[in-house]
Amino acid sequence: MNVKPKHSANWWVTLVCVLFGGLLVLGVAYDAPIYQRPIAKITNVRNERPVKQQDEFENQDATVHQRINAVLINTIHKGQKITLSNTYSRSGAMDQPYRVGNQVFISKLTRGQQSNIKGPKRDTVVALLTWIVISLLFIFMRSAGFMALLSVGLNAVLFFLAINIDLSLKNGNVFVIFSLISVAFAALTLWLVLGWSRQTVITLTATLSGTALAILISLIVFALTHERGMHYEGLQYVTTLPRPLFLAETLIGSLGAVMDESTDIVATLFELQAERPDVSRNQLFLSGRNVGRSIMGPLINVLFLIFVADTFPLTLLYLKNGNNWGYTYMMNMSMGVIQSLISGLGIVLAIPVASFVASRLMKKKVMTDDNL
Amino acid sequence: MTTFSVLALLLFLAMWAVGGKQGAIAFVSLGVNFALLFLTIVLVQFHLPPLPVTLVAGTIILAVTIFFGNDDDNSTTTAFYASVIVMLLLLLFIVPVEHWAQVAGFGDEDSEDLEGMSLYIGISFLKVEICTVVLSTLGAIAEAAMAISSGLSEIEMQQPTITGKRLFGDGLNVGKQIIGTTFNTLFFGFFGGFLSLFIWFVGLRYSIGEVFNDKVFVAELLMVLLSFIGVLITVPMTAAVASWRWHRQSQQSQKKPIVTKVDADE
Repeated sequence: MNVKPKHSANWWVTLVCVLFGGLLVLGVAYDAPIYQRPIAKITNVRNERPVKQQDEFENQDATVHQRINAVLINTIHKGQKITLSNTYSRSGAMDQPYRVGNQVFISKLTRGQQSNIKGPKRDTVVALLTWIVISLLFIFMRSAGFMALLSVGLNAVLFFLAINIDLSLKNGNVFVIFSLISVAFAALTLWLVLGWSRQTVITLTATLSGTALAILISLIVFALTHERGMHYEGLQYVTTLPRPLFLAETLIGSLGAVMDESTDIVATLFELQAERPDVSRNQLFLSGRNVGRSIMGPLINVLFLIFVADTFPLTLLYLKNGNNWGYTYMMNMSMGVIQSLISGLGIVLAIPVASFVASRLMKKKVMTDDNL
Repeated sequence: MTTFSVLALLLFLAMWAVGGKQGAIAFVSLGVNFALLFLTIVLVQFHLPPLPVTLVAGTIILAVTIFFGNDDDNSTTTAFYASVIVMLLLLLFIVPVEHWAQVAGFGDEDSEDLEGMSLYIGISFLKVEICTVVLSTLGAIAEAAMAISSGLSEIEMQQPTITGKRLFGDGLNVGKQIIGTTFNTLFFGFFGGFLSLFIWFVGLRYSIGEVFNDKVFVAELLMVLLSFIGVLITVPMTAAVASWRWHRQSQQSQKKPIVTKVDADE
């Protein structure tokens, strides 16, 4: 019962943190003054009559023109009333309706000319959701939640640094840079999750070898098949050479899942060995395989759904623009599917690698223990 | 042979070699899930309401991901119930958030891909975006639910006298162990796919203010955050479902002591 007062004190700290975070979110909702770009708050909206639209593929749509009154809420023109206009379509692919109370970025004010709406202010919703995630983490997970948050946060910083390094090296290969950074990613994450121990070293070795093996096999397959059926033009937002970029994306994408799995396998084997110190290397290897095979299916599906569901809107647009299934798949989904396959290979290969590495490196320690 | 077919063949062989029959079935689950995703898009294209279609497809995807390649009936049933409930709960989050954030459809960065395309297709991209987010979180929800329910079913087997309440607490503890690695799986999974977008932002020197209001970036970030929330709800939900089923089972076996555990399950 001694623990109880400390426990409730912890709850108070959590509550205060959660409330403080809520205040920060509220602050973001009113942070317009810190932006240099002019922001206006919409005070009145009049919708005109909808106009029917039909395209060459017989898609029926409608557009609505909005006349908007707004008031500037930052810059030196704060308080000035302005009129804006907006046209939105029912489908809303690149436009949206605005409502009273929305805050929008507008173009620079010039005398005698109407400003254009550049887009809504979206930082508040980001802040709100971040706050919900952090609050839930603290409420359900306590200190484990803090470590999870720390590792994600530090990885985000590393990620940003890596991109900066990549861009500052004019002729650097994205793939090479991100391969090196991946080692740092994995080491940092595992260190935070497991602490610095023999178990961490084994997990790290397993993660890196499993991922490297998958990439190596893919490169061999690429060479043997001459990359037939790979459509780099289907990749989005490409500003550099697409091939190394694709490989770097695949590498980073699968790294978390492979780490997840290796952590599970190695941790289980360490536990097993603690319970039954006489377990043989072979048995350890087989147990590792057993743990791995029940988690590999769900893990591959996690990445697969992330990679493929993301292409949903563009795929739909292609289909609605009269493209057939084959071409639509090729241009939008094929690269995501290949990415999932390579990641899947990494996830599967990490199982024997992790089991093998763990069974060999762990036993050494046991033998010295036995000698004592 | 195409690169795709060789890689698919290799993955199948690897899963079979490592997982035996269970591995081969897990490979099939990937194919089934792909077919379901494609079917969803085709149905939405034919103007079926996106949300109901997604919920039905989502439920099947959860079932496929959880039941294919796992033999333990007790833990898969718990994980399936829990993940369907989480999907519905998460939808209550996703709908208002996506309405508010206004990130549906495409951003300025997509212009090149959209060249020459008709955008007035008569299907609400807001609804499509909601479906995309729901579908992309399902894998993570299923995986977390499975991890917790199989951990708990192990505990049930080792301590048959455990109370439902204790079991719930144990579920939260298992959750604490997996949350760090699960978050990293999601973080890397999402950010790997958007490496090129981030290179774009840094290369064109977007300011922080621009990035956090950018349609494409915010859409992606919301997906990550909503997946995090999905996983976070999954932990207590799976623990609750497991403890409820355990409680019900032990009550039934008290009333009719002859009934075996398997019968009580039904």
